[in-house]
Amino acid sequence: MNIRNNPVLREKLAAEYVVGTLKGGARRRFEHWLTADAALRAAVVEWQDRLLPVAEWSRTPAPPARVWDGIERRLGFARAARWWEFWRIDGARVWGGLAVGAGTAAVLLAVVLAGRQQEPLLQQVATLTDEKAQTALVVAADARHGRIDVRVADTVKVPDDRTLQLWAITTAGKTRSLGILPDNRHASLRLDQRAVGADVMLLAISLEPKGGSPNPEAPTGPVLYKGAWVRL
Amino acid sequence: MTKDLENTDLLRRLVAAVALGDRAAFRKLYDATSAKLFGFALRILRKDELAEEAVQEAFVSIWHAASGYQAHLAAPLTWMATIVRNKALDILRRQDDTVELDAEQFDRDMMLAIQDPAAGPHDRLQMSDEARALAHCMGTLESRQRQAIGMAYFHELSHSEVAQQLSLPIGTIKTWIRRGLDKLKNCLAKRELA
Repeated sequence: MNIRNNPVLREKLAAEYVVGTLKGGARRRFEHWLTADAALRAAVVEWQDRLLPVAEWSRTPAPPARVWDGIERRLGFARAARWWEFWRIDGARVWGGLAVGAGTAAVLLAVVLAGRQQEPLLQQVATLTDEKAQTALVVAADARHGRIDVRVADTVKVPDDRTLQLWAITTAGKTRSLGILPDNRHASLRLDQRAVGADVMLLAISLEPKGGSPNPEAPTGPVLYKGAWVRL
Repeated sequence: MTKDLENTDLLRRLVAAVALGDRAAFRKLYDATSAKLFGFALRILRKDELAEEAVQEAFVSIWHAASGYQAHLAAPLTWMATIVRNKALDILRRQDDTVELDAEQFDRDMMLAIQDPAAGPHDRLQMSDEARALAHCMGTLESRQRQAIGMAYFHELSHSEVAQQLSLPIGTIKTWIRRGLDKLKNCLAKRELA
């Protein structure tokens, strides 16, 4: 089909492309035309310019400080490594293809688990940080051994009468308990594939009474640390 | 209008500095735009946590893509908002539950954006002429027309999905959206000339 000489159709398609109602094969065909048609690209930008100012209508306050902290962390702008963050100092480059957080967790876990007879098959990892973006825990799902390994940084101090509890948070915002850390330092939890499935977006740690949250469905104490659950 | 131009010019210079790896400029760019962009992501995703994620992912992309930004093609905020929208829609696609468009909130925000300056001088100072013009022109559409466009734009719904949500025939929806967009375009063009 040739749309070059059909200004009405061009305009209609550009608008539908930007609004999003142009789908499937028609959308791909349109994108193909875009690569060779500067005037069509301009029509698309015009529609974007018309609709995007809607962003300014919102009366939302600035996002919380942790958003910026997360950006800095993901871009690797973070401050110099602490003494215990040995995985930040060197060697981390080989993991360059991974997200910074995932690389951090994977390097640490690889070291932690190196003594085992069979190498772990890392399926997912997360680096959990506090609101100042300080790493507090690393979590990794080992598919070969069916375990979730959790390691807590030395700097994390937990009162004696409290327990850290690990949660999976789904994209829909639901929480599932993955287990507690009895000694608040490390734990090897059973890997329930369903509990850490594709719908899980974040892991989080809450501070609970000894023995864990009285409510099995959700934390009762404050959520101290969280981080993205990254599939490797 | 002068103020808008100054703002756009400032953002353009900041994006150019970011392209050269200037972290301080990146922070300034974030400070100048993150509230608007967060609000935009929130309108698509409706949950703070998810909108925060979208803004983070977007700014990581903005840092990397700044050198490819073409100033003659799009205003800096338009460019950034496009990135935020794409990230937000990616996250939306990963959702189990469908997130519904809050049509009432959309209309309330629109009304606020149209309102006379005395109502909220502080907010209005931060809003560009384009945003005010869009609110005015959106206001000239029928409310269901506006809702149909909003559902498609914010939630990437197809004609048939919008039709299903509003319990109307697909043909009606197609016509509504097309006429609504035509009307919007004409209204905005007139405002520009005025």
